[in-house]
Amino acid sequence: MFSRRNLLVGATALGGASLLPAIAHAKGSVAAAIYPGTWEEAFRATVAPALKKKDNIDVEFQPLFAVDQVAKAKAARGAPPFDAFVLDPGPRITAIEGGLFDKFDSKKFSNLSKMPAGLVDEWGVGVNAQVVGIAYNPKKVPAPKGWKDLFTDPWVSRLGLTGFQTTFGTVSLIEIAKVFGGSETNVEPALVELKKVLPKVAAVGQPAAMPGLFQQGQCDVIYTNTQTVATLKGRGVDIEFVKPETGAITFLTTLHIAKGATDVENAYKYIDIVASKEVQEALTKPPYNFIPVNKDVPLPDYLPMKNLDEMSTYIRHDWAKINPLRAGWIEKFNKEMAK
Amino acid sequence: MRKLAEWQLALPLALAFISIFLAPLLLLVGVSFFNDDKISQPGFGQWIKFFGDPFSYKVIADTMLLGVKTVAATILVGYPLALVYLDASPRVQRVLIFIIVLPLLLSVVVRTFAWIVVLGREGVINQLLMSLGIISEPLKLLQTELGLVISLTQIEMPLMLLPLISVMSRLDPNLRDASAALGASRWRTLFTVIVPLSMPGLVAGCLLVFASSTTAFISQTVIGGVRLIYLPLLIWQQSLVVFNWPFAAVISISLLVSVLTVVSALSWFGRKSGGYVHG
Repeated sequence: MFSRRNLLVGATALGGASLLPAIAHAKGSVAAAIYPGTWEEAFRATVAPALKKKDNIDVEFQPLFAVDQVAKAKAARGAPPFDAFVLDPGPRITAIEGGLFDKFDSKKFSNLSKMPAGLVDEWGVGVNAQVVGIAYNPKKVPAPKGWKDLFTDPWVSRLGLTGFQTTFGTVSLIEIAKVFGGSETNVEPALVELKKVLPKVAAVGQPAAMPGLFQQGQCDVIYTNTQTVATLKGRGVDIEFVKPETGAITFLTTLHIAKGATDVENAYKYIDIVASKEVQEALTKPPYNFIPVNKDVPLPDYLPMKNLDEMSTYIRHDWAKINPLRAGWIEKFNKEMAK
Repeated sequence: MRKLAEWQLALPLALAFISIFLAPLLLLVGVSFFNDDKISQPGFGQWIKFFGDPFSYKVIADTMLLGVKTVAATILVGYPLALVYLDASPRVQRVLIFIIVLPLLLSVVVRTFAWIVVLGREGVINQLLMSLGIISEPLKLLQTELGLVISLTQIEMPLMLLPLISVMSRLDPNLRDASAALGASRWRTLFTVIVPLSMPGLVAGCLLVFASSTTAFISQTVIGGVRLIYLPLLIWQQSLVVFNWPFAAVISISLLVSVLTVVSALSWFGRKSGGYVHG
């Protein structure tokens, strides 16, 4: 018979169980953080089946933005909720400084010889390149030549801006600053010029909202990456990518093994399969439109470069210098742009 | 003995509350008293930084004002709807309730992007007004406070209407008849009988709408854009972009205290007006 006491004990036990952290991963599995949206979709469709087929490993994806992954891993203090990170350069440096990665042993990485120079280092592997430039709607405005054009008519009144919250936003604003006399560590000139044209600008939004705002015609010129352009184009949006005259920007998205990971060997196999020809080729196709990093994979023709080596001429940034300044830039951007 | 057992029954919830709400809250307060983002040097630096900056006061004021405007708009639109509900037949009432609850059934992302489509430069409102020849240039609605208040009014409406309707449907219909029989006009009946008696529901609705709209991060940033800066945006930037958790903690506590202040003022007003009606 149930006594009140028994019921109480049962209820407490049930409640307590739900508070426990998730039970350790099953054998033959790996937990990988993945960016929500296109990345998650693409990795579920390509990486997961390939890994299951080749190594019989089940991958459990945890949709998290780069900054959220670093925040969660930091908060977990040595018991990360996933085995592999996927990160942009800024959060990557934060994570290295925070000691969140295991060192990457490239001997366990079979695709090493297929990667262009500089993509594999002691901390991880670059599995996707992003190329950032200007996107515009060819039905509404002529093609801008470079960053300076964005501050003049007809582009300025159709311009959609984002701040320093994302990697692509930060590097774009740095390049704008450079055009007006600034540098990688001095974005002041960009903010001064922005402030001058602010009343004319069509939209200042959250990075994640920009593709939607473009699609809805709220703005017709934005700075963004080739992947967003290809994806919007795939949905029938009038959009073209322009490599600014001062050069396109590039940065890598990298995979890393979390310090304290439960399934280290499986995490290596996961990273290896992501860089494989088979997966990279699938990721390059619509609707995913990734830029591949495996030399055996041909580049899609909408990209502004002919081969991966050409990307070494593109502009890169030193995030070890940018990170310490970024908090100040974000605050400054808030104050300058606030209504 | 019996009392003790009942007290014990509440224990699981109380424990859950302490572990998942109270403890993190105390942790938040603790973290705010560190000067650096590595959380190693205790001090008041973050508090001094936040409250030494006039910009912070502007953001707090804007956030509270957004709440007040949304509350005012939901009352203005919601109260008449509640009156319509009160007089409707049960069948119509069921339809109305469905329409009222509808926004709660949609994901916040869907609701928010739907509002982009409605308010945008080439959106429904602008196309309608332009095709009717009322305007020649598209109105700027998206990324303005007006647009944000309009959308929040729709998004938060159920929080105003549900408590309001539940209180109003318990009103004794005889009171309205009595008021009419004693010669009061419909307006007089509304303001001297219905409004005072519905005050508990109205105040509860105001509390919910205020607390929810001042903290509606997704709607604020996506519909409002980032030129309209409210406290949730600052918290997000500091905690998830810059990783300055002590500073984020200071802003979070400021948001919590500001919202609680307004909410307690509202509930004090609710008690006072309730006392006036019954006392």
